[in-house]
Amino acid sequence: MAYLPAMPVLTSSTVPDGLTQLLHSARVWRGRELAPALAQSTGFARLDERLPGGGWPLGALVELVPSACGIGELGITLPALKALCAAKRPVVFISSPYIPYAPALANAGLPLELVHRIVVRDDADARWAAEQILRDGTAGAVLLWSQASDERALRRLQLAAEAGRAIAFVYRSPRMLANASPAAVRIALAPAPGTVRASVVKVRGGQPGAISLPVTGTPH
Amino acid sequence: MLWLCASFPRLPIELRQTADVEPVAVIERRGSRRRIIACNPVAEAAGVQVGLDATAALARAPALRLLERSISQEARALKALAAFSEQFSSETCIDAARWLVWIEVGASIHYFTGLTRLGQKLRTEIAALGYTVRFGLAPTLEAAALLSRGRKERAILDPRKLRPILGKRPLNELAADGEILEALSTAGLKSIAEVAAIPAASLARRFGPHFTAYLQCLLGDAPDVRRRYRAPDRYRRHFDCTYPIDTVEGVLFPLRRLLQELQGYLRGRDVALQGLSIALEHRDAPPTRLELRMTTPQRDAPQLFAVLRETLERTTLPEPVTDIRLSADEFITPSILQTDLFDDGQWRAAGWSAVLDKLRARLGEDAVYRLGLNDSHCPEKAWCVRSDGKDAEPDTLLERPLWILEQPRPMDRAPQVLGRPERLEIGWMSGQDSSRDYYRAESPEGARLWVYRDCHTHQWYLHGLWG
Repeated sequence: MAYLPAMPVLTSSTVPDGLTQLLHSARVWRGRELAPALAQSTGFARLDERLPGGGWPLGALVELVPSACGIGELGITLPALKALCAAKRPVVFISSPYIPYAPALANAGLPLELVHRIVVRDDADARWAAEQILRDGTAGAVLLWSQASDERALRRLQLAAEAGRAIAFVYRSPRMLANASPAAVRIALAPAPGTVRASVVKVRGGQPGAISLPVTGTPH
Repeated sequence: MLWLCASFPRLPIELRQTADVEPVAVIERRGSRRRIIACNPVAEAAGVQVGLDATAALARAPALRLLERSISQEARALKALAAFSEQFSSETCIDAARWLVWIEVGASIHYFTGLTRLGQKLRTEIAALGYTVRFGLAPTLEAAALLSRGRKERAILDPRKLRPILGKRPLNELAADGEILEALSTAGLKSIAEVAAIPAASLARRFGPHFTAYLQCLLGDAPDVRRRYRAPDRYRRHFDCTYPIDTVEGVLFPLRRLLQELQGYLRGRDVALQGLSIALEHRDAPPTRLELRMTTPQRDAPQLFAVLRETLERTTLPEPVTDIRLSADEFITPSILQTDLFDDGQWRAAGWSAVLDKLRARLGEDAVYRLGLNDSHCPEKAWCVRSDGKDAEPDTLLERPLWILEQPRPMDRAPQVLGRPERLEIGWMSGQDSSRDYYRAESPEGARLWVYRDCHTHQWYLHGLWG
């Protein structure tokens, strides 16, 4: 059963029109890193600016490293999740530390019939489930909380995300920041008054740096 | 009428699904004689041939493993093939003793835009089941059968061409007893035309009415009133393993074919499955039973196989498997499957529930669920685990945190709260009267908490986080 996900929008481009057209045409070979990245806008213009293709890369691993739970680590993904749901692509929470609260998700505009949660016994099952879903490609995003310290385990997820052109948000603990990661984007999150401070630690083809984001669901 | 005859010359060996690592042959006993009726490619490479005596075959290939012919297994395999073929035609016949399945294609030709494509499609699908097949095409059943057994696959489309074309063929191609053929040949006859030229009455006197009836049906002089095969409404398939299978991987191998056959059956009836039962039988232990339940009706072998694989990999076999029984009773004709070509969204939904079924098969039924809304005032009751059904309308006026705890967790000390409380009267309708004052608070780590104080006990609870 072949299902091709809806063609994502190529967001924001600062390149002049004629050049954009030329670059997007298949005749120009530009090397792997610079190929137009398929992306889903994060909903935060200042974050989009730092990411290649102007948004969360579709078909890649995005590593989010919050300093604690409840600082806006979920809010930062919500606008993108909403857009993916609008394209009828489900989103799946795997091994989340708490229960995503349905009334709040509905308020944020997520159609609940497309929101799933998976509860597993151990990290291996969680990663397996994430891999199956990503590879299938129907779901638009997987949000996985993983304790895995093994880079290879994450690389499998990266490959699966690529195959299914989905976003794999992987939440990891701050002590993992010292280790290498196969993620295309790596962002450390810290609380700040009324906002969440997002430090883009690593971004393939984008600009690292720190920004403050107003995040829904944190009404201070 | 136009019949496509599929002949399965290697059926007795191919139905056993033996691994192609050792020479294996199937023998038939006739008195004290044991004759090879089929063998695998390894045996063939060693010089074993159909028709050879078992002793002679063993002389050529000493490692040759001999299996007894099983007429009942052959009949089961052919019936499964006929049920599978129903996806291509509404009329099917079988002859289990001769390893033949016929499908009427006259009506289907336009649908499949030509015979060539139909033939190709059928050949590919049968090859995927692991069978060698030869085709013959003709206006009568017996002519199609005869053509399928020739050296070259041939077709006769025009009934008037039956006599001239078949007439030229040697009489030993007739499906008749060896004794009859020998008698005819001793009488100096060579071709079918020469046999057909003999008056029917004298042929019947000499060889019995069956032979003349056969000739008439072959040449289209009399209608063939053979009974059509119709697969039963409940699907049953029994497979006896050639050798007991002791690994899950080993069981998956024959199951793949059984599911392919089932897929053909389902397509033929334009139905899908909601559930499937499989029993793996053992010599002494009670059967290992697998029950597959599908959220969305399925009829594609790969998807059924994926769900089955997950279930099986979670199963321990108490003993080697000797027999496999597959049964399906509940079929549905879901409208979505009929519009499949046009509605990508519906297919996507079906594919998605296949993925969820696969996850449930490994992680457990309760591990995968959808988040739902309840029409409840009480925060812990406002959400629910949902498998299907409709959600209550969200109350968009309420500000609620993105994370909620399964149960409110008592806090050791009073948190540093912010702003004014939201008072909730909980459970006054059910008599468990209690009121809570909900606040926002901040943890020392900077996490934004959703906490409440019980108005009666004054105990503080953590209930959620503003993720």
